[in-house]
This record gives sequence, C-alpha cells and structure tokens, in this order.
Amino acid sequence: MSSATWRNVFTYNKYAQITERAVRQSLKETERVAAEKRGVTALRYQKWENGVGGAQVYLNPEEDKGLGKPAV
Amino acid sequence: MIASTKLAKAQRAMQAGKEYGSANSEIFQHAPPETPSKRKLFVVVSSDKGLCGGIHSSVSKATRRALAGSDQADPASPVMVIGDKSKGQLSRVLGQNMTMSFNQIGRDIPTFADAAGVADLIVKSGVEYDSVSIVYNKFVSAISYEPTTVEVTNEKLLKESPGFRAYEMEDDFAKDLAEFALANAIYAALVEAHACEQSARRNAMDNASNNAKDMINKLTLQYNRGRQASITNELVDIITGASAL
Repeated sequence: MSSATWRNVFTYNKYAQITERAVRQSLKETERVAAEKRGVTALRYQKWENGVGGAQVYLNPEEDKGLGKPAV
Repeated sequence: MIASTKLAKAQRAMQAGKEYGSANSEIFQHAPPETPSKRKLFVVVSSDKGLCGGIHSSVSKATRRALAGSDQADPASPVMVIGDKSKGQLSRVLGQNMTMSFNQIGRDIPTFADAAGVADLIVKSGVEYDSVSIVYNKFVSAISYEPTTVEVTNEKLLKESPGFRAYEMEDDFAKDLAEFALANAIYAALVEAHACEQSARRNAMDNASNNAKDMINKLTLQYNRGRQASITNELVDIITGASAL
C-alpha cells in the first residue's frame, strides 16, 4: 500500500469523519436516519486576539440556513 | 418533574461516552510522558444556555485557579472556551489568554462530530502546546458535580514516552493517535458536562419552584391576617359608633 497522501491535506479526525459519512449513507433506511443524527454538528467558532474576538465562523457553512445537515 | 426525561437521555449518553473516555485515557496511563508538560492548552467545556445553577462559574473558577497557581501552569497559557457563558466570564479575566471559542454545542446531546470538529480546529489552529488540559464538570451524582481536568498529551510527548517506544512502528501513527485521542477526550468531556448541566438545571428549577411556593404561602398568610385585622378594625369602629348613638 502506497503511503497515504491525505495526511498532507487534512487531519485524522477529518479522515474519520469522511469515512463515518460514507458508512452512514450506506446503511438501511431506518438505521440510517438514526445514525445521521449522530453526525450532525452546528459548530461555530471565533478566533481571539488580545482579548477581542474575531468574527464567528460556521464550521460547515450550509448549517446556517438549514438544520440537520450532516458534518463534512 | 421538570426536564427529567431530558436528564435521563443525557445520562444514558454520558454512560456510553464515558466508556470512550476511559478507553482513551488508558493509552496515556500506559504511556505517561517522561517530562511533565510545560506548555498546556486549556479547553474549558461549558455551554451557551443559562438557568443551570453554578455550572459555568464552577468551570471558569477552576480554570482561573489552575492558571493562578503558577506551579501547575504558566499564567500565559492559551485558553480555548466551548460555550458562550464561560466565554463571557473568562473573557473579562483571561482575555489575553483566549485563543479560540466555540458555541452552538450543547443544545442537544453532543455528538462525536462536534468533538471531532473542535479537535480539528485545535490542531489546525497552530497553537503550540505539549498537552491539552480539558476542564469540565464531572458527574458525581444527580444533585452534585465537581470540576475536573483531563490531560491529553500531544504527539511529540507521546512518541517520546518509553511506554510508546516499546513498539516499533512508523512515525505517522503517533500524530493520528494524538489527534483522535484528543477528539475522544473532548467527546467524553462534552457528554459528561451536558449531563451535569441538565441535572443542575433540573435542580435549580426545582429549588426555584419550591422557593416560590413557600413565598406564596407565607405571603398569603400575611395577606389574610392583614385583611382580617382591617375588617376587625372596621367592625370595632362601627360598633363603637353605633353604641354612641
């Protein structure tokens, strides 16, 4: 197996999340609905400099319009 | 009972999440770092909503104590906050230390996707650290909690620890393991803190309801006494007036 080049692009957590999404989407319908809920995140973050917060950024930009879109 | 179904759900998620946390910390128990970590990154776990008693202030106080006691950590250690309530409390005191803050976590049971997102952002932020100290509320019982810290070492310290070096393998895995372990630890902390918050909210609201009920009873008695006293006075006036005629 050639050495994985994805490590240059994103972290292991992102890699795991991509594989999670693939597994969830391949489940049977009823299990899939339950599993999709576990992949939902509406995380927002902001960077701080010198005691002043920057702009709040959505981690997954589709989140701010709708709800329940899975991560990645 | 207020919020007790939510609490039951949160507690079930916490039991499951704790398994992740304890399995995760086993690695660090078997591979402790040789030198104690000098540069610690503090991650404070709280949430965005209030009305839950002392949850947010207990975590904020624990962080301030850890940073003030200079034998434990450098007072200029970077701090990252999850949750708007603690962000507000800490930005006034430790504003210079704050590097990043997260919100929109804790509305429902925290998911691993939340924790993985946070861990991802921490690693990509470029903040230098030897280990991450996660400060969160530990669930002691349905009516009590206490702030605790969980430490996750980064890949360099992990690689150098003698327990880890006993195995020969490519270097890449230490980085992956460190990142994944961070996500796991954050997930365990998030679910436990969520369960603590739900139980504290239920207790706070129960206490508030009971206090309000007591106050209503006391004041009703006072009101009735006053009403009867004024009626008695009016009767006395009428009677003396009548007897004077």
